Amino acid sequence: MAVAVRRVLRASRSWRAALGGQERWRAETLRLICTTTAVQKRNVPASGPEKYTEAFIKKQIEEFNLGKRHLANMMGEDPETFTQEDIDKAIAYLFPSGLFEKRARPVMKHPNDIFPKQRAMQWGEDHRPFHFLFYTGKQSFYSLMHEIYGKMLDIQKYQDQLKAQDLDEKKQINLIGSRWLIKEELEEMLVEKLSDHDYSLCIRLLERLVTLPCCGIEEEYVLKFRKELDTQLKKVVIEPLQYDDQGVAFSTGEGKRKTSRATVIVYDNGNGKITVNGIDYLHYFPVIQDREQLMFPFQFLGRLGKHNMVCTVLGGGSSSQAGAIRLASARALCSFVTENEAEFMRQAGLLTYDPRNKERKKPGQEGARRKFTWKKR
Amino acid sequence: RLTQVRWSRYGPDYLEPEVNKEVYRKPGQELSEEEKMEQDLKALQPIKAAPCNVTSSLFSDPTISKFINMMMKGGNKVLARSIMSQTLEAVKRKQVEKYHQASEEERESIECNPYVIFHQALKNCQPIIGISNIKKGGKTYQVPTPLTDNRKRFLAMKWLITECREHKHYRIFMHEKLSQELLQAFNNEGPVIKRKHDIHKMAEANRAYAHYRWW
Repeated sequence: MAVAVRRVLRASRSWRAALGGQERWRAETLRLICTTTAVQKRNVPASGPEKYTEAFIKKQIEEFNLGKRHLANMMGEDPETFTQEDIDKAIAYLFPSGLFEKRARPVMKHPNDIFPKQRAMQWGEDHRPFHFLFYTGKQSFYSLMHEIYGKMLDIQKYQDQLKAQDLDEKKQINLIGSRWLIKEELEEMLVEKLSDHDYSLCIRLLERLVTLPCCGIEEEYVLKFRKELDTQLKKVVIEPLQYDDQGVAFSTGEGKRKTSRATVIVYDNGNGKITVNGIDYLHYFPVIQDREQLMFPFQFLGRLGKHNMVCTVLGGGSSSQAGAIRLASARALCSFVTENEAEFMRQAGLLTYDPRNKERKKPGQEGARRKFTWKKR
Repeated sequence: RLTQVRWSRYGPDYLEPEVNKEVYRKPGQELSEEEKMEQDLKALQPIKAAPCNVTSSLFSDPTISKFINMMMKGGNKVLARSIMSQTLEAVKRKQVEKYHQASEEERESIECNPYVIFHQALKNCQPIIGISNIKKGGKTYQVPTPLTDNRKRFLAMKWLITECREHKHYRIFMHEKLSQELLQAFNNEGPVIKRKHDIHKMAEANRAYAHYRWW
């Protein structure tokens, strides 16, 4: 055990030094705004005997699988191909619940999803902990940092060896198409709570590792901390063209902005006529800005006078109706256009729904942001 | 990469949209490696929607949009835009008249494009150094400070607009007065340029207090 301590802490210029002089406390924490803050829990490694023993969890898994087959038989489906979605539908059918809180309704899921992941006992019968970093309180985090630093030293040794042999190889890891694990995912991996500061230290160390020239040796280790990203364009559904009675190709699109909803039919072989709610666009949109927004997708693709458009818009004001029609026509035009051009449209911001809405008024203030007049007395 | 997002309806990984058509015209072979990498990265990240005053046509200009927004009062974008277009038309008319009345040699030096005149006038109005009030020992000193590009542009536009609003006869239209100011600023004369020079002189006069600045 002492050997292990010496091995891991071998350069006591530890991973802290590797992070350089930037190890000042940063007042701004970097985190994703979209996720909720995790509830602070007690010290995980120091928690007492496990609440759910391994044997208990195994028994739960067996019972779950058995229950799944019984449920399949009850619903008249094939037990072999009974998926989780089918289970959810069956339970909702058999136990209808009027409760508003979705989490309070009856649920049948795999025990791994229900029982939280926890660690086995961290100390033996003689009450001495197994892990040598147990008394730091964040044993997996610190051991991870030491491991990564160990890998960095290995890479540097390898580089020195290559230099000694006068070879100049560079193996970089390809990081395109993936992102670093977010804090929640890293916590799940380590089964331990991390603070924002710890998480940012870990990511900085990994980025530092990736900048070394010969980091290809430790590629699989680093890829464990990366998650694959799909290309964004795949999330946009492009429908095929439809043909009406005269053989003219047309395509429909729907768009919304603020409170407006628009449906648009774009016809091919046209002369650039646009009809909105039965009225010509020149009369419906007297403001130039709105008409520019209608023209935007066509002008971007260079197809200004080649299509006809028939739109119906409901709700909202003039600008938001124009924005809704713009989104709808851009989506409709995707079917007329190649994939590359659709990607260009997406990068120009034509295919994204604008999520900006009127901000709500808060109590104690006059409006969304404006406060009441401050009176000294 | 996580970014500092104070409060935005978009998530932090949303990128700004690129509306300029020329960027997408370049064929694949001419791109350098860095640009190819950037394109690959961009394909994976979500992008914000384009704002409603921006188009890919030749007539939309970010500086002009900014100027229109600054001129706008009470959310009346229609009025602000019409004033702007009337101003540019007035500038063009004056320059074309001057062009027709000028002799052969002078005709080449006369600039007729109102957009060029607008940009050049703004550039001429931008101060190089700014003044900030720093309180030290009970007294407030005017200390010369550097300015960022955004701040320079903002000050130039603000000075133009305030000049046109305050120092004009109520019977003169805004677009008329603005076109006069723009042409004067284009030729490095007029009250806005004078204001810029005043700021420069004050900064030069207060050079002794420059060390009071701590940022």
